[in-house]
Amino acid sequence: MATAATAPAHVHSGYHEPTGVWSWLTTVDHKRIGALYLYTALAWFAVGGLEAVMIRIQLQGPNGRFISADTYNQLFTMHGTTMVFLVIMPMSAAFFNLLIPLQIGARDVAFPRLNAFSYWVYLFGSLFMNASWLIGAAPDGGWFGYTPLTTYQYSSGLNIDFWLLGLQILGVSSLAAAFNFITTIINMRAPGMNLMRMPVFTWMAFVVQFLLVLAFPVITIALVFLQFDRFFGTQFYQAAAGADPLLWQHLFWIFGHPEVYILILPAFGLVSEVLPTFSRKPLFGYAVMVYSAILIAFLGFGVWAHHMFAVGMGPVADTLFALTTMLIGIPTGVKIFNWIFTMWGGDIRFTTPMKFAIALVGLFTIGGISGVMHASPPADLQQTDTYFIVAHFHYVLFGGSMMGLWAGVYYYYPKLTGKMMSEKLGSWHFWLTFIAMNLTFMPMHWSGLLGMPRRTWVYDAGQGLEIWNLVSSLGAYLQAVAVILGFWNMWRSRKAGAVAGANPWGAGTLEWSTPSPPPEYNYAVIPTVTSRYPMWDGGMQATESSPKSAKELGIPMPNPTIKPLFVALFMTLMLASMLLMHKGMPTAAVAGIITFAVLMTLSLYSWLLTPLEDEH
Amino acid sequence: MPADSRLRRLAQAALTAALIGLAGCVQNPNSVFHSRTDFNRDVTSLFTIIIVMGTAVFIFTEILLIYAIWRFRAKPGAPRPEQVHGNTKLEILWTVLPAVVLAVIAVPTVTTIFKTQARATSDAVQIEVIGHQWWWEFRYPQSGVTTANEVYMPLGKTIDFKLNTVDVIHSFWIPALGGKRDAVYTPNSGWLKYRQSNLWFTADSTTEDVFNGFCAEYCGTSHANMRFRAMVVSQASFDSWIAQQQKPAVYSAPAPTPPPAPGRRAAAAAPATAAPATASFIAFDRAKMPAHAVPRTPIPASIHYDTTLVGDPVRGATLTASSSCIACHTIRGVPTMQAKVGPDLTHVGSRLTIGGGLFPNDAKHLASWIKNSGAMKPGSFMTTLGVGQYDPKSKLTLSFGLTDQQIADIVAYLQALK
Repeated sequence: MATAATAPAHVHSGYHEPTGVWSWLTTVDHKRIGALYLYTALAWFAVGGLEAVMIRIQLQGPNGRFISADTYNQLFTMHGTTMVFLVIMPMSAAFFNLLIPLQIGARDVAFPRLNAFSYWVYLFGSLFMNASWLIGAAPDGGWFGYTPLTTYQYSSGLNIDFWLLGLQILGVSSLAAAFNFITTIINMRAPGMNLMRMPVFTWMAFVVQFLLVLAFPVITIALVFLQFDRFFGTQFYQAAAGADPLLWQHLFWIFGHPEVYILILPAFGLVSEVLPTFSRKPLFGYAVMVYSAILIAFLGFGVWAHHMFAVGMGPVADTLFALTTMLIGIPTGVKIFNWIFTMWGGDIRFTTPMKFAIALVGLFTIGGISGVMHASPPADLQQTDTYFIVAHFHYVLFGGSMMGLWAGVYYYYPKLTGKMMSEKLGSWHFWLTFIAMNLTFMPMHWSGLLGMPRRTWVYDAGQGLEIWNLVSSLGAYLQAVAVILGFWNMWRSRKAGAVAGANPWGAGTLEWSTPSPPPEYNYAVIPTVTSRYPMWDGGMQATESSPKSAKELGIPMPNPTIKPLFVALFMTLMLASMLLMHKGMPTAAVAGIITFAVLMTLSLYSWLLTPLEDEH
Repeated sequence: MPADSRLRRLAQAALTAALIGLAGCVQNPNSVFHSRTDFNRDVTSLFTIIIVMGTAVFIFTEILLIYAIWRFRAKPGAPRPEQVHGNTKLEILWTVLPAVVLAVIAVPTVTTIFKTQARATSDAVQIEVIGHQWWWEFRYPQSGVTTANEVYMPLGKTIDFKLNTVDVIHSFWIPALGGKRDAVYTPNSGWLKYRQSNLWFTADSTTEDVFNGFCAEYCGTSHANMRFRAMVVSQASFDSWIAQQQKPAVYSAPAPTPPPAPGRRAAAAAPATAAPATASFIAFDRAKMPAHAVPRTPIPASIHYDTTLVGDPVRGATLTASSSCIACHTIRGVPTMQAKVGPDLTHVGSRLTIGGGLFPNDAKHLASWIKNSGAMKPGSFMTTLGVGQYDPKSKLTLSFGLTDQQIADIVAYLQALK
């Protein structure tokens, strides 16, 4: 087993990455795009965390006056939207990018330039949505933007326009990436890498891409309806004109519930890599883990109305959605037990990634159990739209997704950078996060059951809510400290970290056979895979360095190009031009839309007419 | 009574007691574990089963996890662990186990769904709940009464709430009694009129009491400030209250001298009311209002009101009926006051709170509200009326408007509307 300590210090992958801003703007290397996703998502994580801290300052005591009601509404809307669309999804995308080609033994994704395009669309979309803060009109309709509140009649500011246009832009990014990864996984696996030998992370990624492809069109349609209502006077959501005001809720949650699995399955995948490595045992019940994820994804499309038990759908619909929701508990429970039995009989090393991974198993269990509590409609009537729900989904998304993603960051940082992160700082980071997380979200179970509705700017004194809110707020401040420690660890380790070597953790999967960081072509020779854990079964040896460039080895690699960035930029500006319509400048809006549409089309043509690789 | 076994009843009672003890009846007035209604008892007994099962699963899983990581922690020099890939019997076991747990939850869930969502009995008191940004309108179709932000219901009678809204979606929730149910726009015609948005419960195990209600669906700027009070009173008091509410505005006679003392509503009202309603019940006794139902929202520092000002209800009546109040409010019996935008003020003097349950209904708060409701409650659609006040909507300081004395007159009049 090669560890950080035993790896010779002079060993370097030998591959010299091109440097400079231009190389990052034009890169089509999946690993560098993955890094861009990761760092951008972490930057938004800081922003979303700051929003959360401001929310908690406001709620620290009763009748708080730290921020205005309107600002508060913008903060909780943007906190949710940011954490879902700008943090957890792109952080997952960072790992898809970094890992899928490495894990399946490919040299890049199927469409490297489309991959770059996905990232730039995400970056510009996230900047666009947050630009709303600069003019004091951040989205304020909640992250699920219920109509009719978000129709023009009740929200005539630019706030909702930023939100819906931003989500449409981000949807393009997710869809483009999903098709890219599906194609990659189906077509670009190394010889011998049949589906049931794929690392579980890639399997989870594969399932998530199908969820994206099937769920995002639904939200896109819902948003197009809303966009047409707001900009062109259609009446898809106008109850007074005979439309059902619940149409939005159905469309949103048909997207929104699969979205929950889009957020959690990548973290499940990361944990399913980390737990076997540090238990020195293969994943328990590999096939069951794969099938349960597929089952969760499938059932995930049949449970959406459990978000709507309070609207009064009638007892038959309530029963149906209650039962399908409970069914999902079964494959989820199966996963938990398989993880525990992966560790059972193992030789467990408590490294930082392992701590985060174990925390996911423990904390997600709490979120899963409270999830079953509101799968029961009569009980849910007393829980929905209260802080009990806030507690539940933070145990799922913070205790689950974020813990898994941090496990992934610590686990794969050596592969990405060639350096180890500090275990000491990592341990501090983990324990602070773990304690702060429970301090913040556990009391919310109580404040919810004691009658505190969600999304409330203030609560009155003397309602028994003071102590729980105070504890939650203190927990949130502690979390901020924990996040700063984690960031500091990442920053510091780039320089000060020990040299990692190809396989610092003694892991079993294919990606650990390449040098750290991998050369741009990943594998000098495409490996032939004979088992699920080729590094353990003697099927593969770690390569510590690849001193030769792709050109010297005669490996054709895609050329860097700036064109995807331009297409993404012009697409964002085209949609952003629509804002001018609500500022009384329809002519300018149309002029902007046409100009940027033309520029986007020209950039796209230029991109498509340029060959991917040099001719040989 | 359900035919439970004695042991199970005991266990359930013990658990419920523990839950309520945890929630603490007195300090936690809005706990969902209060068993004052049939609805909440059904939900609590269902929830109890779920909590027991959930706790068992939680303890089992976490102990298994903690045991595993402790027992199998790395030991120096340990050989490579046995490379187990799985075990079909175990997989079947932990597929069946959650299924059994879920079935135990599913059966009472379905029976409770059909029980709580059955149609309410035909003799139920009908109440139409209509959400507005950001206040509640309550109508009693059986007696033609319309009121706002305070809903009265008779003890021991089933109340059938029918939810609707005039604007966005709201959600009607009295945690200690039951709920919640969304108020989704349901027109009188077209296919959408068939939407069933009902909620019923019977407050059958409580004394006369006041409960806090909330809007639970995010509905815009003042979602947090869209509260209400639910008064559970005896049938006799309820009937008396209905009879009083059915009357047009009962203020009629000019105020005799001496004028009412400011800020003392109870004292102020008596001389101004033509037919003193001391004998019959017209509103929940303010003195008996539990502490948790008395709102404690602070008045913003920007609003000053001299509470020593003495208002004249006669001048106030004239002012009200000829000012911008008429654009939004109804006071039945006053010909100019027939608008339906804001709350019905016919009996506003009998209410215990104002502003969507945000403030106590006393002279100081009512006057501050009239001066500048937008500063009192963010987003309030009510016009800013006090001269010199900063209007949050237009972002201008008013150079015209009502003086403090005029506001005192209006307050005196409104407080007399019992």
